Amino acid sequence: MTVDLVEYPLWAAILVSSFLVIGSLLTLIGAIGIVRLKSFYDRIHAPTLATSWGTGGMAVGSMIFFLVGGGRPLVHELLLAAFVTITTPVTLMMLGRAAIYRDRSSARPGIPPLGRRVELNLSEKPSEGELS
Amino acid sequence: MWSSEWLILLVGLPFLGSLLTALLPSHSRSAANWLAGAMALACFGIAISAYSSVTDGMVVRHQVEWVPHLGLSLTLRLDGFAWMFSMLITGIGALVILYARYYMSPKDPVVRFYALLLAFMGAMQGLVVSGNIILLAVFWELTSIFSFLLIGYWHHNQAARDGARMALTITGAGGLCLLAGMVLLGQIVGSYDLDVVLQSGDLIRASDLYLPTLLLILAGALTKSAQFPFHFWLPNAMAAPTPVSAYLHSATMVKAGVFLLTRFWPVLSGTDAWFFIVGFAGLSTLLIGAYFAIFQHDLKGLLAYSTISHLGLVTTLLSLGSPLAAVAAIFHMVNHATFKASLFMAAGIIDHEAGTRDMRRLSGLFSFLPITATLAMVASAAMAGVPLLNGFLSKEMFFAETLEQHRASVLDTVTPYVATIAAAFAVTYSIRLIHTVFFGPRASDLPKVPHEPPRWMRLPIELLVLACLVVGTIPGLSIGSYLDTAVVSVLGDATPVYSLSIWHGFNLPLAMSIVALLGGIVLYMALKSYLDWCEEGPPIFRRLKGQRIFERILVAVSWRWARVAERFLGTRRLQPQLRLIVVAAILAGVWAMWGARHLAPQLTISGVDPVLAMMWLVGGGCAVAAAYQAKFHRLAALIFLGVAGLVTCITFVWLSAPDLGVTQLLVEIVTTVLILLGLRWLPKRDDQIERHGFWVRLRRGRDFFIAVIAGAGMALLAYYMMMTPLPPSVGDYYLQHAYSEGGGTNVVNVILVDFRGFDTLGEIVVLAVVALTVFALLRRFRPAEDNSELPYQQREQNEYDSIQRDREVGETLKDYLLVPSVIMRWMFAAITLLAAYLFLRGHDLPGGGFAAGVAMAIGFLLQYLAGGTRWVEERLRIRPVQWIGFGLLAATATGLGSLTVGYPFLTSYFQYTEVPFIGGVPTASALFFDLGVFSLVVGATVLMLVAIAHQSLRAPKARPDRAVAERAAVEQGES
Repeated sequence: MTVDLVEYPLWAAILVSSFLVIGSLLTLIGAIGIVRLKSFYDRIHAPTLATSWGTGGMAVGSMIFFLVGGGRPLVHELLLAAFVTITTPVTLMMLGRAAIYRDRSSARPGIPPLGRRVELNLSEKPSEGELS
Repeated sequence: MWSSEWLILLVGLPFLGSLLTALLPSHSRSAANWLAGAMALACFGIAISAYSSVTDGMVVRHQVEWVPHLGLSLTLRLDGFAWMFSMLITGIGALVILYARYYMSPKDPVVRFYALLLAFMGAMQGLVVSGNIILLAVFWELTSIFSFLLIGYWHHNQAARDGARMALTITGAGGLCLLAGMVLLGQIVGSYDLDVVLQSGDLIRASDLYLPTLLLILAGALTKSAQFPFHFWLPNAMAAPTPVSAYLHSATMVKAGVFLLTRFWPVLSGTDAWFFIVGFAGLSTLLIGAYFAIFQHDLKGLLAYSTISHLGLVTTLLSLGSPLAAVAAIFHMVNHATFKASLFMAAGIIDHEAGTRDMRRLSGLFSFLPITATLAMVASAAMAGVPLLNGFLSKEMFFAETLEQHRASVLDTVTPYVATIAAAFAVTYSIRLIHTVFFGPRASDLPKVPHEPPRWMRLPIELLVLACLVVGTIPGLSIGSYLDTAVVSVLGDATPVYSLSIWHGFNLPLAMSIVALLGGIVLYMALKSYLDWCEEGPPIFRRLKGQRIFERILVAVSWRWARVAERFLGTRRLQPQLRLIVVAAILAGVWAMWGARHLAPQLTISGVDPVLAMMWLVGGGCAVAAAYQAKFHRLAALIFLGVAGLVTCITFVWLSAPDLGVTQLLVEIVTTVLILLGLRWLPKRDDQIERHGFWVRLRRGRDFFIAVIAGAGMALLAYYMMMTPLPPSVGDYYLQHAYSEGGGTNVVNVILVDFRGFDTLGEIVVLAVVALTVFALLRRFRPAEDNSELPYQQREQNEYDSIQRDREVGETLKDYLLVPSVIMRWMFAAITLLAAYLFLRGHDLPGGGFAAGVAMAIGFLLQYLAGGTRWVEERLRIRPVQWIGFGLLAATATGLGSLTVGYPFLTSYFQYTEVPFIGGVPTASALFFDLGVFSLVVGATVLMLVAIAHQSLRAPKARPDRAVAERAAVEQGES
């Protein structure tokens, strides 16, 4: 599985590096976002940069690297990207839900309360989108 | 010639009988009695038949090797002295069993009684015939344990429990000393064999270790024989049933101490230390016991103190160091056993028939039970040393010996006077016993109207009293030759010429006897009226009770000190305990590394990869931050901890240890989640607590400091370790042979499951034990007051749900978690696949049973998180204990498999198996072993998870109970 780095073609190296740089740059931007953005609801969007295109960039880079190097099929990266895409939203979703629940129960201004809408709409349950 | 195999029977039969008796149904009173009696009689018969083989100093030996290279063997050795004791043990044992048949109440669980009595007999028998001094110590402790159980037989009785505990504490501690003494003795002599030890008297006495050895052995002997200042356990042991007292506290248990002193008399005695220690203990016991006995109101109490006094007499004789004194000591042991056993039994009959043992209430019993009274009188006379009874003979010998000059000292000078005074006391208490109980006005207020006991209940006393009479009148014909056998076996060539005749002419000992008799009578006359009304216990010493002192000490050690220790070290306050542990670890580390500076590798900046360095900076910073936040922001601390763990994982990968990386990552996940779940049960934040005061800062600063020191120390240690060039180690061997011998290219895994499979087996066993312990601890765990209720978030949700008409309780939570929980449930399949993947590739690539097991456990963990405990357990039946069990069995069975084909335990077998469509598949038997590891890890992790998860189910349930209890309490208060 070792790839000979000395004999590695230049064009491919440039391609791989640019994808890696793009990926890590997006991740870095996401990280800066967490620090710079003001409210929790703003900040929660920042790390998605890392989990979407950040991961994607690195996965593509890795795919190209091993494809050109002739090491192995590309299943690993595909699986990796798929799992990251499926699972990380769960974390963010739960964090967001927890935050909004807390803000609602402490009646923080600017947060749409949950109860009133349900009371108005007794006949049908609110859907997921309406709740958040 | 008597076969030496009989010795095994002699010791083994009582134990066998004990076992058989214990197996009898609990209502089989008569069968138990017959069985016990038959066993005792059989042993008695064996002992009798052995006599011809032990005369003239002959010895029967039977040896079974045990641990030969340590000098331990199960050697049984019967000589004349041991034979004499065997006769007492089995003979009096049989009589006591006969007596107990009538004594024990129908309500008592007699099966247990006979089983214990027989076991005690076996232990005592083993003690006297042990031919190996370590074996002797073992039997010695057995007698302590069985006597504890026998004294505490009526365990519903507080006095019995206390007496039993005291007896065990004192004699057990003595037994421990004795064991140490025996080991020392064995070190001096170079053998634990009794015969060799007995040959090496000069060597022992000349050794530097003589004094400690002597002190330790004496500690054992003096505690067992209730010698001053350890005498106080014996009167308290009188709470035992009377047959037990008659057996243990006259003939056997307390005789073990003097037996030991006599047994080692040839090798230990004759020095100043021996004379003064043993002499002082013996003489003071003789006097104090006799003095205390006068003032007891309890019949058995009187007999107990009298026993103490007589044992003091024997001890004094042994202290003198002259062979003639040793003869007298042996003689008196036998005499005391006969008359004291009969007196105890008579006291038991009186107690049984009259319903009380208090001498102030007993009076004029002669007219109720004339025969028992006569027997008791003869035995008491023997105890007092009246001529024509056996007690007189040995007492005369004692007087004669005290008059001899042994070692010029005050102790030696006062001996005859003390002996005469103690003998006078003995006369006084003997007269008191007879006079108050049997004469005087007929008692009218007794709990029962006394009458003569059954014929067979009296028989043991009759036989023993007959022995007293026969030995007392025709000593030479009756006991002479037997005593000679015993004496020769102890003294060997040093056996003196002695005379057992009754009449030695008018001499000083006779005068002492007369003085003692008359003095005793006069003393009784003087004290009579005082004794009728006085408090229990002797004047002056009444307030000074050994028992009280003992209890004070016991309370101090086991209660006050224990509480102090618990306060500082206990688990009730986890944080101080952890602090202590960490500080102790730091100190241990500093101590071990002190002066190892020269081993320190050069710390260089060059060559450090900047990326790794930055990562480490982040990781280290997070670790420090975790310590900083730990006090008031547990969640933040946990997150920091997680980052530090991730950096560790990346470091492993960076340094080419993918195995460790994978495992560390999985373990990190499980640990974080489990701690997260545990956070719920920690005390809540109290807003009242001051968080910025000086002392708070100081405390936090101290804890932070400790944490940083510990962490930095660990890092330093790891750095030292890694930077020190390793010598060629076994690791190279593993690297070279992993494939050729283990059939795997993943060396780590091959080491774990093959080369060092036995270690792994041990480790997974530990893991299983830990999991079970966590489960057991959490099963009984009840959360603290402030978080036993549901968290307020949940309460709020439930409240909200119950207000809404179309919502059920729990629906809000379900709505909120809908998408995440669906995804988490889907992930179960993916994670199971990952676990299988990790498991299967483990032998050649990073992975393996452990990593796969943890991954699988994470799968279960996610289900619990997503659906909640109830949801999961309604759908998925996980049996973690079975997983653990299967894992252990699979791993062990794999190991045993190699045994069946003639290889050592856990030898791995490896081959390529042809599987259709796939081709050659590497198959190692280690795979099954790894399967065991996998299963066990899954089971252990899930078990801990389940234990925590069930807390959240249990806590709400606990509330209504409490509410009910509170309401009940309120109502009670109102009414």
